[in-house]
Amino acid sequence: MIRRAAVWAAALVALAFLALPIVAIFARLSLTRLSTSVVSDALVVSLKTTFAAQALVLAFGTPAAYVLATHRFRGRSLVVTLVELPIVLPPAVAGIGLLAAFGRVGLLHTGLPFTQAAVIVAVAFVSGPLYARQAIAAFEGVDETMVAASRTLGASRAKTFFRVVLPLAGGGLGAGEALAFARGMGEFGATIMFAGSLQGVTQTLPLAVYQEFDVDFHTALALGALLVGVSAGLLITVKWLASSSTSALRFAASSSV
Amino acid sequence: MISSAVLTILAAASLTNVFPQVAPKDRFSFGGSNMLAAQIQQGAPADVFASANTKLPEQLYEQGLVEKPVVFTRNELILIVPKKNPADIHSVYDLRKPGVKLVVGAVGVPVGDYTRVVLHNLGLDDVLNSVVSQETDVREVLAKVALGEADAGFVYTTDARTVRGKVATIGIRWSAQPIVEYAVAVVKSSHHLAASRAFVKSLLGRTAQAKLRAAGFLPVR
Repeated sequence: MIRRAAVWAAALVALAFLALPIVAIFARLSLTRLSTSVVSDALVVSLKTTFAAQALVLAFGTPAAYVLATHRFRGRSLVVTLVELPIVLPPAVAGIGLLAAFGRVGLLHTGLPFTQAAVIVAVAFVSGPLYARQAIAAFEGVDETMVAASRTLGASRAKTFFRVVLPLAGGGLGAGEALAFARGMGEFGATIMFAGSLQGVTQTLPLAVYQEFDVDFHTALALGALLVGVSAGLLITVKWLASSSTSALRFAASSSV
Repeated sequence: MISSAVLTILAAASLTNVFPQVAPKDRFSFGGSNMLAAQIQQGAPADVFASANTKLPEQLYEQGLVEKPVVFTRNELILIVPKKNPADIHSVYDLRKPGVKLVVGAVGVPVGDYTRVVLHNLGLDDVLNSVVSQETDVREVLAKVALGEADAGFVYTTDARTVRGKVATIGIRWSAQPIVEYAVAVVKSSHHLAASRAFVKSLLGRTAQAKLRAAGFLPVR
């Protein structure tokens, strides 16, 4: 019994530890600060760049993950490791890398830095691998006999992919995208280094929190609350979507490690 | 006992190179002065606060968080462009050219406030429309210009000297210069009040002042 009580106590401590900062943000929140232009501009920039980045992540990450999941070739594990590498990279390293690659004096000499497109690139770079990794696992989990059956029944490769593979992998893809979305909304280090910070253009919610901390703590708190609200709302929505499609359910369960 | 205390000194980013020479044994946290002031307001453990203006330490003094601030050095603003000068800027008035990527400190950051004073004094308020990024301290402005990502930025003359060879400088006429005075104050919650006061006093002493002068800072008027 004592051992059980200790387990419960440890669990409670962990829960309280994780919940307390969130509770504190809302406890000290003054709603009037939400109506400042810094807050509304940052919200618009964050939503625009996050949705654009996630559209790119889905459009390019899904085919890439499918190829990596269904093909065996020399150097595959190296490629998969490269895809996963940005997950463990410190954001500051990602920022330096993006500058070295896409900066005006970088390898590709683009004019990206300080533009809204730079925010999208930074968010896609740090959040994409989270989706890709989960998507590879989801595609690998698709029962090959189902795919073979679809093909022998006369469905084309494309039709099989969209009607059989995607629905079967949907839960895993949804879970991966939820993670990528949340990571993208919170992206800070790579963005401030690669895109700079300008209200209404490149200043996302996390960047605005950082700037307002120096200027007005209560506005920073309001921004933090907004970020918690938006992230939590999106996370719950995507999770609900993923689990509400019955075919996806068992894959969501099997692929969420 | 006093001499053995290692002080925690929160100092303006522009003091990054010179302060470790002035006080080699102490610990430093460099950043935008307004961020450091916010940290003191939030109870950060610190012994001394050295700000790139007088306003922030005066505010903390009025709030009872620091002892009476003392001005210990001065500085001036300068415009810097990357060595290759991609936007072909040779005078502050060239900032009016369309498409110039100008980087400045944010409002509230001392260098950001000084930059706005300079632009106003020069009748160049409209140049603020060319700003592509507002940075949280002067070293961020410096880094983005030195790297060549930005076309121009306003920094202190002392910052420009730390990246010689990477940037070219464009002076700002004396009459458009803001008053850039650095003030230092002992944090009241310090556990080393005596040592901290001694440090503040030493900053005004001959040795420290010589090191500040060598780094390009100006003597107190």
